[in-house]
Amino acid sequence: MTEVRLDGLTKIYSGHKPAVDAISLTIPSGQFVSLLGPSGCGKTTTLKMLAGFEDVSSGAITFDGQDVVRVPAEDRDIGMVFQNYALFPHMTVFQNLAFGLEMRKIGKAEIKRRVQATLEMVQLDHLADRYPAQLSGGQQQRVAIGRALVIEPRILLLDEPLANLDAKLREEMRVFIRALQKRVGITTVYVTHDQAEAMTMSDLVVVMFDGTIAQAGAPSEIYEQPRSATVAGFVGQVNLIPAVVEAHRPDHVDTPFGEIPLPFPAQPGAKVTLVLRPEAVDLHRADAGQGVPAKVISLQYSGAIVDYVLEFADGTRMDVKTIPRHRVMVGDEVRLSVDPSRFWMLDGEG
Amino acid sequence: MSRWTLNIFCLLVYIFLMAPIIVVIGASLNAGAFLTFPPQGLSLRWYVTFFHNDVFLRAIGTSLWVAAIATFFSVIIGTMAALYYVHFAGKRKEWLRVALISPLLLPEILTAVALLFFLYGVGIGTKTMFGMLVGHVLMTLPFVFMNVSASLESYDTDWTMAARSLGAKPWVRFRRIVLPLIKPGLIGGTLFSFVISFDIYTISLLLKSIGTATLPIQLFDYLKTNYTPEAAAVSSVSILATLAVVIFVEKVVGLKVHKF
Repeated sequence: MTEVRLDGLTKIYSGHKPAVDAISLTIPSGQFVSLLGPSGCGKTTTLKMLAGFEDVSSGAITFDGQDVVRVPAEDRDIGMVFQNYALFPHMTVFQNLAFGLEMRKIGKAEIKRRVQATLEMVQLDHLADRYPAQLSGGQQQRVAIGRALVIEPRILLLDEPLANLDAKLREEMRVFIRALQKRVGITTVYVTHDQAEAMTMSDLVVVMFDGTIAQAGAPSEIYEQPRSATVAGFVGQVNLIPAVVEAHRPDHVDTPFGEIPLPFPAQPGAKVTLVLRPEAVDLHRADAGQGVPAKVISLQYSGAIVDYVLEFADGTRMDVKTIPRHRVMVGDEVRLSVDPSRFWMLDGEG
Repeated sequence: MSRWTLNIFCLLVYIFLMAPIIVVIGASLNAGAFLTFPPQGLSLRWYVTFFHNDVFLRAIGTSLWVAAIATFFSVIIGTMAALYYVHFAGKRKEWLRVALISPLLLPEILTAVALLFFLYGVGIGTKTMFGMLVGHVLMTLPFVFMNVSASLESYDTDWTMAARSLGAKPWVRFRRIVLPLIKPGLIGGTLFSFVISFDIYTISLLLKSIGTATLPIQLFDYLKTNYTPEAAAVSSVSILATLAVVIFVEKVVGLKVHKF
């Protein structure tokens, strides 16, 4: 159990703008943290600095208060899972797992016991004598995780480990990795560009853009209370609605489709942006007698859930995602309503 | 092209490639006194003559030694060069490759003359085997470099990082991870280097020390004044010796390649 702290961590490749720009973050012991962001946001560079594969330009990395910036990767006691698994192709599954223990000068019998126990944990004990090339993608993935965990490292680092798996397996592995992490209780840093992975697996999601942390928080906090329009858009579909706080009633805003009560008071007269997730909108029949009227421009049917694009009288559009209770066709008039508690508000124009 | 014509074509190519070897071995079994093919009667007498001929035996010994020593240094230097080339050369990559294979691009005689001037220029001269060995290393280096760097191109640097994260120091990483994974290229390079060195003529001729002779030199020397099947017997033995080295390396070091 190790608490990891990044303090003003910076990476500058000469002649470029910083790849990682003075980020500070505390990862509590035993937590599962995702670094989430588009490619080039600095998440992988941050992971490599944690692992010791990249030099740190400035700033500090501490494990339980101990500065590890000068500690080479081979002495840092980390478990790393690579995107392409990086299993040693000339070694069997058993030998792959034993390698790290051999480096620690552990006796043969003890190695055998620990490798066996770990293989059971990742459900691969029946494949110990196979070579990596003889395994499926999902099995290779579990070998890679086993190899990283068998050395009982201080922290576990995973670099987009599910990127090469098909969709169904990816969902299984999410559950598997999360359950394993909870069982072992190891502090884990997980790099991904897939917001669904980050949301479902993490205790803490760290959204990164352009080498800086845009927001760090629990998955629900990132999703429901984003700190910027960019964060809101990155973690899911979103409607950004320009609005003005009413001068006489600072707990209401004017929007193109009506007056909306705010869950909290704001600066009277201020320009704000409302953040509204498509699934927070309720859709009613045109004769419902309540809600703002709108017209269905297009819809995308995907079984249980339907995605609509609606247009208001003034021409502004909105994405809506619902489990439909009645049939709605393109061109139909509908009405929609939103529970005020489902709005989130950003200062200015997003 | 149908499968049939392809088979015939391959057969013809093989015959073309193997014919000189068959002629040499056939001629060596000649019972007559002249180097002719087909042989006039079968006999091993020219092998007996050869095995009693100290000059040839010494030449074969010298050739084997030179090839072994040159290959040893070529493999070490060539592998290090390939490691640098693949992992660290960056923008200098293309330039470095051309420089390293340049001994193959230049006529051997030019390399030999240049080396001769150089060796005398720096005062080493050709009193010892040193000059010739340098020449052999120079000529065999490209083969090691090309084979090993081809192996390294399919080497994933994440393997090195994985080994680091598991606590492996540089030398352990090289011995346990890099070396086994580039083994096919390394063995290929070693064999090429050995066989090429065994075969080098021009460089040996210009750079040898007085009194030493490698097998190709001795053979040419012999053929200038003699025309007996002994020359064919010597050639046959050197072909077999080369083959023996290839088989030995394959059996002992192994050419087992892992799929990845």
